[in-house]
Amino acid sequence: MLRFALTRILMSVPTLLIVSVSVFGLIRLIPGDPASLMLGDLATPASIADLQARLGLDQSLPVQFGIWFGNLLKGDLGQSISSQQAVLPLILSRFWISAQIVLVAVLLASLVAVPAGVIAAWKQDSSLDLSLVAVATLLLSIPTFWLGLLLLLFFGLKLEWLPVVGYVSIAENPVAGILYLIMPIMTLFLHEIGVILRMARASTLEVLRLDYITHARAKGLTESAVLWNHAFKNAFGPTWTLIGLVLGNLLGGIAVVETVFTIPGLGRLLVDSIFARDYPVIQGCMLFVAFTYVLVNLVIDLCYPIFDPRVSAQ
Amino acid sequence: MKLPAPNALVGGTLIGFLGIVAAISSVWTPFDPLKLSFRAKLAAPSAMHWLGTDEFGRDVLSRLMAGAATSVWISLLTVALAVSLGTVIGLFSGYVRGWVDRTIMAFNDALLAFPGILLALGLLAVVGANKYGIILALGIAYAPSVARIVRGTVLSLREREFISASRVMGNSEGFTMARHILPNCIAPLTVLATSMFGWVLLAESSLSFLGLGVPPPAPTWGNMLAGSRPYIGQAVWLGIFPGLAISLTLLGINLLGDALRDKLDPRMRGAR
Amino acid sequence: MNRLLASAFALLALASPAAAQSITVAVAADIRSNNPGVNRDDNTDDFALQLVEGLVGYNEGGVATPLLAEKVDLSADGKTYTFTLRQGVKFHNGAELSSADVLWSWNRYMDPKTDWRCTSEFDGRSGLKVEEATAPDPRTFVMKIDKPNALFLDTLARTDCAMTAILHKDSVKADGSWDKPIGTGPYKFGEWKRGEYFTMTAFEGYKSPKDGGKADGYVGSKRPLLKDVKFLIVKDPATVKAGLLSGALDLAEILPSDAAELKKNPKLSVAAEPNAVRHVFLIQVKDAVMGNQKLRQAIAAALDMDEIVAAFYNDLGKPNTSPIYSGSSYFGEVEKKGLSFDPARAKKLLQEAGYKGEKIVILANKRPIVPSFPAAVVAQQMLQAVGVNAEIEVLDWATQLDRYNKGNYQMQSFSFSARFDPAIAFEQFSGPKDKQPRKVWDNPEAQKQIDKLFVTSDRAERQTIVDELHKRVIDEVPMIFAFNGLDIIAHAKRIQGFKPWQSKLRMWEVTLAN
Repeated sequence: MLRFALTRILMSVPTLLIVSVSVFGLIRLIPGDPASLMLGDLATPASIADLQARLGLDQSLPVQFGIWFGNLLKGDLGQSISSQQAVLPLILSRFWISAQIVLVAVLLASLVAVPAGVIAAWKQDSSLDLSLVAVATLLLSIPTFWLGLLLLLFFGLKLEWLPVVGYVSIAENPVAGILYLIMPIMTLFLHEIGVILRMARASTLEVLRLDYITHARAKGLTESAVLWNHAFKNAFGPTWTLIGLVLGNLLGGIAVVETVFTIPGLGRLLVDSIFARDYPVIQGCMLFVAFTYVLVNLVIDLCYPIFDPRVSAQ
Repeated sequence: MKLPAPNALVGGTLIGFLGIVAAISSVWTPFDPLKLSFRAKLAAPSAMHWLGTDEFGRDVLSRLMAGAATSVWISLLTVALAVSLGTVIGLFSGYVRGWVDRTIMAFNDALLAFPGILLALGLLAVVGANKYGIILALGIAYAPSVARIVRGTVLSLREREFISASRVMGNSEGFTMARHILPNCIAPLTVLATSMFGWVLLAESSLSFLGLGVPPPAPTWGNMLAGSRPYIGQAVWLGIFPGLAISLTLLGINLLGDALRDKLDPRMRGAR
Repeated sequence: MNRLLASAFALLALASPAAAQSITVAVAADIRSNNPGVNRDDNTDDFALQLVEGLVGYNEGGVATPLLAEKVDLSADGKTYTFTLRQGVKFHNGAELSSADVLWSWNRYMDPKTDWRCTSEFDGRSGLKVEEATAPDPRTFVMKIDKPNALFLDTLARTDCAMTAILHKDSVKADGSWDKPIGTGPYKFGEWKRGEYFTMTAFEGYKSPKDGGKADGYVGSKRPLLKDVKFLIVKDPATVKAGLLSGALDLAEILPSDAAELKKNPKLSVAAEPNAVRHVFLIQVKDAVMGNQKLRQAIAAALDMDEIVAAFYNDLGKPNTSPIYSGSSYFGEVEKKGLSFDPARAKKLLQEAGYKGEKIVILANKRPIVPSFPAAVVAQQMLQAVGVNAEIEVLDWATQLDRYNKGNYQMQSFSFSARFDPAIAFEQFSGPKDKQPRKVWDNPEAQKQIDKLFVTSDRAERQTIVDELHKRVIDEVPMIFAFNGLDIIAHAKRIQGFKPWQSKLRMWEVTLAN
């Protein structure tokens, strides 16, 4: 187990290497540069050149990469071009905000959607199954920015239960902090129910068709025992993998929800810095998201054998 | 002759209807979907404009019909690209294992770890912001999830008796792969592919919302939905109709996908 | 549940005792820094100029007028400026303003290590050089420039130079690094939570340049009548609207499409004022197709500006096809006569031009607060109506700006930022393309006239030059000016005395009823 974990961590090193090189290359393929963005439409070539030199953008790409990578090995992700803050603390403070939203939303969604998916599969083609699938599909097909706005209009404006704009951190004021997080979490929660329910249903259907379920039934076990002891436990494996994928993707894709609810999270930081061509922040964010992703999937894989005894940890 | 399953029936009807609408729109729409009309800005649904007009006075029904063809086409091609790319990588990687697998998966994970928006923005900037750019960008962004799922299935199947049996019987690796492993990937893949169809429709919309330069002036359901957001208070039909169109299409695709899987999966026959 | 939430809100309200005298303003972006004129953008300048002041500042009409100076005297040879400081002006830390502070601030700005945005405007690299700056006595500050320049004071007052603001030397730490702005402005720097909000509080010891309660650009009466102002960063216009309706926001710039709806709300007022931003269709005349002047004239005649304005501003805006903004004192009868919509003439010109349906791509971006995309959509439709094969390509702003700087486009739906003086307004887009690819208008004869605008102080002579340049632009069509920007601000009715001016949210002379 420990050896497996260590191997996996070592294996993630090339992944992160590939990420850092390709991010560095990719963002510089995108036209536009931070210096001219900062100076706007009045920039003279001289003032752009001055600023580029000051930002170290006048050097050749390999040199720039070398400097950045050298600092990275020392644990220094550099400084933001637009806000001149150190990148790592910036990312960590934003990450914490995004993480609490994503984790709570996915946890709640799994608690609802996995049992619902299993039940839908169990009662396949019944009206219950059809309506669960219909609800899941509907939830899945509403874009989060649209859903978020509907919630905002309803709970914020119409009922005036929840604050409409702004953000207060939980550390500062726990009650207000939670109030500000309810709607973003609800938005993601509703969306992810759709994703996870369908996957759980599909995995359970797979398992229900396998021979050992038939055996179990033939052995005279009650339906609920078959469902719980065999079907549910086995269906959980693939669903578990999917939850890992969902978690990883959400950290990158949460930008939309954060924009709607004015949450200063990691997703918005990334999108903002893409628009501002703030290279050090983009690089830092991407590397960080990749790192988190690898970590989440490692944990998922380490847990896999617990749910699916057929796959042994190698 | 049995009646088709209810999911096939409902799904087939929805998708059939979509196909017909898309086909009709290529020859006829009630109005020109690009024609502006300043006197009819944000008009509510009426006898003339069944689904109302948008902020430029363009007919929503016509745009919805024209958008059907574009959106479906983009989604289909993207899914096809992602699935074929991902399946090949996943099958190969899962089957050969060892260092080749590890290397491929390192690349795969690196790609997976890119949030889709950045990959899309980067690739769109390189290939140009048009629908082929979107297909390429999203196709590449989604392929790694396919690869991972296919590889997962392959890994778990390897331990099963019938695969060992096939090997013991002296079948070649290639034959085993094609005969026994690929068919078993179809079920999870159908589910993933149908989900992905929805993701693409939505991703296109979210990209528009974030202003990442995807939207052409020609209508797609995604950019209609994203563009409707500022008018939610005054013209709710602008978002409801493309939203409904996306939802119904997804419902149809998913039901059809389920039915298709039941038919394709050999173990399903006579199981019920 | 409802009651629980309600009591939670009561707690929230208790937590901020100053709630009654403070207001919350939504802004679309965070400030880049609190270091005036150094790491900046328009949004940053707006905040900085509530906190700091320069010797001279713009008045309502965009003319540089004494602010911290009581008066400015110019020597007969036009090269020596003598600033006499106002008496009794205090910095936020209580220290009294003297010419030593002015000299210290000036020397700091001219030190390359400061990275002031405008150093190159005064060190000779852009044609103007300050040769000497001295402080002969505590109330007098003297600057000598190398040759007469009609725009010297104007350049000092520029908002992107942060008005060449005078700072107290405690604004920087002992090691010379930046700490926080200690200026003489009506508000003091409060707190800055990056990515969330920034605040300012009233400066009790503020000495207003004028009394009487009438705001006048950056001069005039500037009393800080609000206790606290919190600028909250809200990116999504739909969220801004919801915040205004719920009362969480007191004041914000809104989308033109929301103006009519918000006006109807009994709790809100909507104010709209034109500014000096010029929305424009840029044309690259070096392009093989666009080099044809007849074709460009055809395009100009094909555009119905009333409807292009209406596409974004509804009934709030008016077309202005002159490079001079409509609020300028130089905007006269000649400037009012610009392009006219004439589709028949457009078709005729297209024929004369020998146009054969070559594709013309208009670049646009979808930032919500600029009309780039809607203007392009409407223009494309009008061009297609007369037979021009126009297409739109949507880019993100950074990419479009890059194409602008490289001159790599056929047409762009673009906006020129506000410039008040006509000399600078023309200089913004004209010059040699081979040296500066971003320049749109490359006409050596016109350039000579523009250069003359920079040195001529005579008002009538300047007007004549401006009129001629305007006519040239209309005839040559190196680009098509469409309309000026509008600041559309919605605010709670209880806020009184607020007037939008040049996209700046001036918080002085603003009061809160109740």
